[in-house]
Amino acid sequence: MSRPVSRAAIVSAIVKKDFVEFSRDKLYIFLSLLGMIFFVLIFWFVPDTVDETITLGMTHGGDLGALVAQFEAGAEGSAEGLALEVFDSPEQMQGVIDGSLELWRADEGDARVIRDKEAGDDKPKDSHRVGVQIGIAFPEGFLIDTATGTRTTVKVYADAAVPPEIQTAMKSFVREIAYGITDNVLPVTEPAQENIILGEDRAGDQVSIREKMRPMISIMILMVEVFSLASLISGEVLNRTVVAVLATPAKIGDFLAAKTIYGTVLALAQAFIVLLAIGAFTAENWFALLVILVIASVMFTGIAMAVGAAGKDFMGTLFYAMAFVLPLMIPAFALLLPGTASAWVRVLPTYGLIQMLNGVTAYGRGIDEYLPQLGISVAWLVAIYVAGLFTLKRKVESL
Amino acid sequence: MSLTRVLKVLRKDLALGPRSPIFMYAIALPVVLTLVLQVAFGSLFAPKPRMAVVDEGDSAITAQLAATDGIELTMLDSVDELKTGVEANDYDAGLVLTEGFDEAVRDGSRPLLDLFIGGESLASSRIILSVTALDLVREVEGSAPPVDVEIVSFGDAGLPVSVRLVPLIMMYALFIAGAFMPASSLVEEKEQGTLSALLVTPVRAGEVLLVKGILGCVLAFVMAFMTLLMNDALGGAPFDMAVVLFSGAAFSAVIGMVIGTWSRDSTAMFTLMKSSGILLFAPVIFYLFPEWPQWIAKLFPTFWVIDPIWQVGILGKGLDAVWLEIVIAIAISLALVPVIGMLSKRMQRVLVG
Repeated sequence: MSRPVSRAAIVSAIVKKDFVEFSRDKLYIFLSLLGMIFFVLIFWFVPDTVDETITLGMTHGGDLGALVAQFEAGAEGSAEGLALEVFDSPEQMQGVIDGSLELWRADEGDARVIRDKEAGDDKPKDSHRVGVQIGIAFPEGFLIDTATGTRTTVKVYADAAVPPEIQTAMKSFVREIAYGITDNVLPVTEPAQENIILGEDRAGDQVSIREKMRPMISIMILMVEVFSLASLISGEVLNRTVVAVLATPAKIGDFLAAKTIYGTVLALAQAFIVLLAIGAFTAENWFALLVILVIASVMFTGIAMAVGAAGKDFMGTLFYAMAFVLPLMIPAFALLLPGTASAWVRVLPTYGLIQMLNGVTAYGRGIDEYLPQLGISVAWLVAIYVAGLFTLKRKVESL
Repeated sequence: MSLTRVLKVLRKDLALGPRSPIFMYAIALPVVLTLVLQVAFGSLFAPKPRMAVVDEGDSAITAQLAATDGIELTMLDSVDELKTGVEANDYDAGLVLTEGFDEAVRDGSRPLLDLFIGGESLASSRIILSVTALDLVREVEGSAPPVDVEIVSFGDAGLPVSVRLVPLIMMYALFIAGAFMPASSLVEEKEQGTLSALLVTPVRAGEVLLVKGILGCVLAFVMAFMTLLMNDALGGAPFDMAVVLFSGAAFSAVIGMVIGTWSRDSTAMFTLMKSSGILLFAPVIFYLFPEWPQWIAKLFPTFWVIDPIWQVGILGKGLDAVWLEIVIAIAISLALVPVIGMLSKRMQRVLVG
């Protein structure tokens, strides 16, 4: 006498068994927890600001005060990319550049201190150190001499680590100041400011490396889950426990459905927790992020199914998983570099997902702005999932 | 210990070893890491301002820009392509030099300077590219600058990030090939039962370990050499480099033997590798951050392996400068030999009673 059992109950029983098995596997529990903690720590360790300012030291004989005041007034309201620090003498400036002296600025207000560490000066309180790597020393009487046509020599002090393009630019900067003093106008017509900037102007509001790391961390978490699910599947295939499962009323379809649910839930849950811990979710983007995570989780579950069916032992599974997953991580790495990714990167299955994740988390865009990427990702999801399902089905049938 | 038996086991491992996925992993990883870290992260840590130019009239500015150190120049064919690239942040700025631009500058017509800036470009890059472009225009005009500028450079430029990443790649090359491969081979043989079968023959556990160690040492030496070659860090003293590489390869093989004999199965081995990874790889972080207190790196055993390679390969020093590090590395390796002996006896007891 046997009581009829619904398919849902069978699938649910297999999923439950898988979760129990996962909870007993110390290695994958360890790796999953370690991965989650590690990625969250790495995220918060990476700088969340982009330093796009050149701090320039300057000394002058007092005649450039008006120019300095004009520069500082202009720089205050906008992100000019150039911060000015005026020193009392070229020697003092050189000392700060070569590190024998330290420049400290108060956290609040304009107060600043030049600290001579070797002379025993204390570290100023409520202050931060300002790094100056390049400085311009205008000679005494520079303004008058230049205006009257007398050539002077301006020295640019630079630490050897200062890139050559900055040294060249500072040289040009000094010349342009001199041209300005002699009323020598530019030999070209400058374009209107509004026509110069192409795209959204993000000066002073750049997307930091930390923000760009969110998609990479998501993919890394999913990668660990590929190992976990693939290892579970290959274990079941090698130990033939799947044959035992199929000797019950469970059918291959139930087994595959259970693996899909188990893999997706596990991946989705961990990615969700990590994204929550790295502050990716907002009231505006939570739905878009969930949609992207579901697509990614099912896609990686499909990969895990194919890998699990192919792996013959732990090392084999590890190797196949790496071979499948590493190329899929390339779009996330490409995101860290400026500009459009190469054509071959753009055809990788995860490219669309990464673009959506980045757009939604770093730029605050809606998923409706990424409909082509969404369509392509869903197409890849179907292709990869069906391939994984088919591979595992054939493997199970062969047993 | 019989040389004949050692050679027979060696022949078997040479035939079967390359079929293991770990062997492929050991060969592929340094290449992949070199590509990823050097190409991607090298430029990530030290980005250069990127300028695109459409030159419709063979302007002198283009040639001068190409000769300017530190600016990445890309020549494009159309203005549309330039604008699209600048907007997509493929370039920080774009300059369009129309036909007759130079002549117009010289005859005082003051042509329009078609300079476009990418919205996502760094403010510092904008300044560098704009000021440099204006200075080049002045040069084309032919007017002598009203001031002389002298650059006074001092201090030590330090090593670029791409060079400071070499120890990290080296450690992977050494330890995946020298430690991970022999350890996994040993564990795999334990799991599949071939080691038990081997140990009921006259072959002794010590002979099996010696073979695995030799293979790990040779592969680690080859992969470390290839990694240094790919990163242009072989230095100028081939003999000195061979000595430091050999001591590093032998050290990693000894570590591999400890891990392999200690681990009962793949799970235990992988857990041990993961948990000990921080101890093995910690010293390389100090090369990335030279401002950190460098004495801390000396507390980690692998420092005594990686530092001689760094000094000979990157800093161009000789054996006289690194002999102490080599002696310490050899001493640590020798100190681990009795540990391997004990673990090997335990392994033999567990496998064949």
